[in-house]
Amino acid sequence: MKKIIKNPLALAGLIIILLIAILALFASHLSPYDPNYIDIQSILVSPNKQHIMGTDALGRDVFSRMLHGAQISLLVGIVAVGISTLIGIILGSIAGFYRGITDTLIMRLVDVMLSIPSFFLILAVIAFLTPSIWNIMIVIGLTSWMGVTRLVRAEFLSLKERDFILAAETIGASDLRIILTHLLPNSLGPIIVSTVLGVASAVLIESGLSFLGLGVQAPTASWGNILTDGKEYIQFAWWLSLFPGLAILITVLGYNLLGEGLRDNFDQNT
Amino acid sequence: MRLILTSLFFICLFGCNKSQTEDVINFDEEASQESGGTLTNAMIGEPNNLIAMIAGDGASSAIAGQIFNSLLKYDENLEFEGDLAESWEVSKDYKTIRFNLKTKKKWSDDHPITCKDVLFTWKAVTHPDTRTPYGSDYQLVSSAECVNDYQFIAKYNEPYAPALETWASLHILPEHLLKNEDINNTYFSLNPVGSNYYALDSWVTGQQLKLKANPNAIHGKPLIDNKVSRIIPDLSSQFMELIAGNIDLMSINPIQYSRVFPNRSELNNKINLYKEMGNGYTYFGFNLNKKPFDDINIRKAISYAIDRQEIIDGVLLGLGEEITSPYKPGTYWENKNIKKLSFNPQKAKELLEKSGYHLNNNIYEKDGIPLSFEILTNQNKQREMTAVLIQRRLQDIGIDVSIRVIEWASFVNRFIKTGEFQAVVLGWSLSLDPDQYSIWHSSQQGPGQFNFIGYSNKRVDDLLEKGRQELNKEKRKAIYDEFSAILYEDQPIVYLYAGYGLSAIHKKIKGVKKLSPPAGIYHNDYEWFVPTKFRRNEMSL
Amino acid sequence: MLIGISLISFFIMHLAPGDITSNESAFNPKASEESRQKLREMYNLDKPIIVQYGLWLKRIAKLDFGHSFASHQRPVLWQEKDKNGNIKPGLIQKALPITLLINLLTIFLIFSISIVLGTIAAIRKNKIPDRLITLFVFVGFAIPGFWLALLLMYSLGVSNQILPISGLHSIGYEQMSYVTQFIDMLKHLILPVFISCLSGLAGISLYVRNGMIEILNQDFIKTARAKGLYEKKVIFVHTLKNALLPLITILGLSIPGLIGGSVIAESIFAIPGMGKLFYDAVLMRDFPVVMGILTIGSILTLLGNLIADLSYAWADPRIRRGLSK
Repeated sequence: MKKIIKNPLALAGLIIILLIAILALFASHLSPYDPNYIDIQSILVSPNKQHIMGTDALGRDVFSRMLHGAQISLLVGIVAVGISTLIGIILGSIAGFYRGITDTLIMRLVDVMLSIPSFFLILAVIAFLTPSIWNIMIVIGLTSWMGVTRLVRAEFLSLKERDFILAAETIGASDLRIILTHLLPNSLGPIIVSTVLGVASAVLIESGLSFLGLGVQAPTASWGNILTDGKEYIQFAWWLSLFPGLAILITVLGYNLLGEGLRDNFDQNT
Repeated sequence: MRLILTSLFFICLFGCNKSQTEDVINFDEEASQESGGTLTNAMIGEPNNLIAMIAGDGASSAIAGQIFNSLLKYDENLEFEGDLAESWEVSKDYKTIRFNLKTKKKWSDDHPITCKDVLFTWKAVTHPDTRTPYGSDYQLVSSAECVNDYQFIAKYNEPYAPALETWASLHILPEHLLKNEDINNTYFSLNPVGSNYYALDSWVTGQQLKLKANPNAIHGKPLIDNKVSRIIPDLSSQFMELIAGNIDLMSINPIQYSRVFPNRSELNNKINLYKEMGNGYTYFGFNLNKKPFDDINIRKAISYAIDRQEIIDGVLLGLGEEITSPYKPGTYWENKNIKKLSFNPQKAKELLEKSGYHLNNNIYEKDGIPLSFEILTNQNKQREMTAVLIQRRLQDIGIDVSIRVIEWASFVNRFIKTGEFQAVVLGWSLSLDPDQYSIWHSSQQGPGQFNFIGYSNKRVDDLLEKGRQELNKEKRKAIYDEFSAILYEDQPIVYLYAGYGLSAIHKKIKGVKKLSPPAGIYHNDYEWFVPTKFRRNEMSL
Repeated sequence: MLIGISLISFFIMHLAPGDITSNESAFNPKASEESRQKLREMYNLDKPIIVQYGLWLKRIAKLDFGHSFASHQRPVLWQEKDKNGNIKPGLIQKALPITLLINLLTIFLIFSISIVLGTIAAIRKNKIPDRLITLFVFVGFAIPGFWLALLLMYSLGVSNQILPISGLHSIGYEQMSYVTQFIDMLKHLILPVFISCLSGLAGISLYVRNGMIEILNQDFIKTARAKGLYEKKVIFVHTLKNALLPLITILGLSIPGLIGGSVIAESIFAIPGMGKLFYDAVLMRDFPVVMGILTIGSILTLLGNLIADLSYAWADPRIRRGLSK
């Protein structure tokens, strides 16, 4: 932890993440307007005192939508990463612990999945299912677990030969117990790093999907779809492009800085 | 050292480009007609097959329409006039149409155009092996023959009033080039030979198609020599290209028309905006097979609860009209006598209560079941925004509505074909022929057919059948007036709006009619021209 | 391996509701349902999935990727001559070179720039240049690509007209000399390649930096320094070469990511590459094209990895010596 505080970039990342998390949590309290409140009289108003970030094509207040969008974008990021980390931990543990054919099979699967451009896969699946927020989270989760799997497996492989594991096995502890109480806790470092970086990546993927029309759907606001809604009037309604773009940029930056900072931290430990 | 060289290279790349001096030229200057020049436009999709009867998509038809003629076409008042046909006669019993073709006309490869080509085309579109979805109209022709080189006779078993429209949409193909070809696979689809104003000059896959003026064009050569269609899939990129002067015309959306252009004087110096009646209407459709939409009071209540003008103002920025019949406003078939349902939330609530609903926690309920449903629509920004506005209005009077946006192919297959939907926001085109059989007749409710909302009205069925066989214009109008009146009374759909067609065309394209005729401003595009002084310098970098 | 990829892809595609007949003609009242059913039979879409997969595999074995449904019988992979000697261009044949060009340029640029940035960062570890470079590289990764693309297009293409906005060629291309044509194409590629590079730079630069730092701390470097070798020689010759080896593998692994990322860039910049082809094919349920692209994409990835492995073996003197023994 101390190392993070010493590293100014990682510290900045942490602060950014906390700030945005707070904004997202209290979005409903902080929003001056209902994000879905349509006001035909105020279509595409540039930022002013009543609407500090302007309004969109239906007269909805962009600032309120941005706050709620923070909720959505973060939710997508966290749930998607949660799913992929869970899958990754399970598969990685099995592969790393049991070795043999199971290991080979799982790693082959990882290789195949890594060879298919994941964005294509996400695209294809979302295009078929209806693009709801849950489907997006699940699909991103289902296509991002490969990295975690490899990491967990690698950690398990190196840890397995250590004395304390041999000791546990001699005592007769069950496989599951060894995995859960000994191996996993010691592998947490890379998993945490991967999780943090994964959130950043998921947020970017959602905005990319929104660009193609396959992201979070109307009327729910997400940073990605505010950006996409405004792209045809980019020269005129610059506020529709600037704020969400910056928000995505800063958030992803924050998670990446923290993630890399944590990685430096854990690397130096081993 | 390497750094210096690399930077020099990059400076050269940038420096070797002068910014355009378009702003200095006055494009409003008058000019006299002259031939030559190039018009560049953009498409979001690429055509895949220039034989329109086989291609299913809009991009292919748009290009094919410049290359081929049909027997008939619409004049600027949307009346029929001869295209390949010089004249035509319909027999007294309405079962035979005789077309007299223009003589001495040639394909762009100099081969003469004769009745053989018409007969060949008809045989092709009705052949069971031809991969076309459009065969059914032409299969109604019981026999077709060429009396001589320039007379084509089509006989029907029953009088078929929409027949003339079908002959205005069939591109006539050259028999001498296709007779030994498999029409489904022929190279002709990528390199066609036609008879209309333009011929295909070059096609760079994925990037652009270039058409050049056809010296054998049956109506005479057009004034603009070259038409380039660039394939630019993203609309924001297209708009930027329009502003940068790299494309000359584009269909724009209401916000670009009303907000962007008025604020940019430098744009108004070089681009003209045109507004005309569009070609389609958007509606809110009920699944009449699902409760509670089988109750006409509920449908009427919803109709009263929707503020159509608000939708037009909000989604279209006022650039559209309410309609009460499925026909293009300003045309002969429009039924002007239908009294519009107003926006009246109070009346809506009364109707709901009349049907046995009562308010419970701000949502109407009947027998413990809340009045709530899901609106489905496809990925179309305007439809999405419309759905959002409808949702808000319905929620105001106590109906709980959710919205789902679905990609097109899934939408059609999982929801429309199966009938698994409650309400939709979709559109139809505003037909030029009044026949609406395939959409409203009760026999058209099968999966994949167009009466997917499940409408069934005996009187309407009768009228639709009669309308197909009545060729007398006034009598037909009476039939369809009654049809559209009953339709409006039944409210199986709520007509939302018919949006305007908005075009931005560079001022250097002269000859565009300021006031658009019923057929639209593109109708006389063969008369448009680009004065030499405004032509883009095609050699500059 | 390929079987696995193709199997997964095939089944996912067929899980999708709808088929080629569900395109625009689906809602055209002029197109009757019977005609569409006929179309379906012609394309073998009414047979069970397993049969369809089997049929496809059989044809792939002969390198016949079939014909596109949507593009009405344009061959998926390579051009064909029909009996009159007319050449119908293959879809992938046309799309692949452009995507390859952009991706190769991107890989090359990422490679070069990351080495420079990573090295500087490693040498000046934890000092200002390191922090700045890290920040810059992170920002590059965090920017949503299409957002930056639109901003750049607008500022460089519209307001100031320095660079062309979309497509691959300017108007009047045909009249240009070869040199001018080449420069023209390069100008059109500047923006797309730049956008493509940006996200890859972050990861690779960091990797180089961390790799260099690790090696710099190792004994043999200390030995080299103790021997009194020039600092520059130490860095470039010894450290860099060692750090680069794993880099080659990493680059190989990032190929699928580049191919996938091209969808958005190609759409904005109107570049007719594999990404756009794939996206359109998915929406049109054009199975032959989708399967074709996934297969070719995977083959390319495997090829890329193979080349990476071979280069690694060639570059790593330990392996080379081992082989020659």
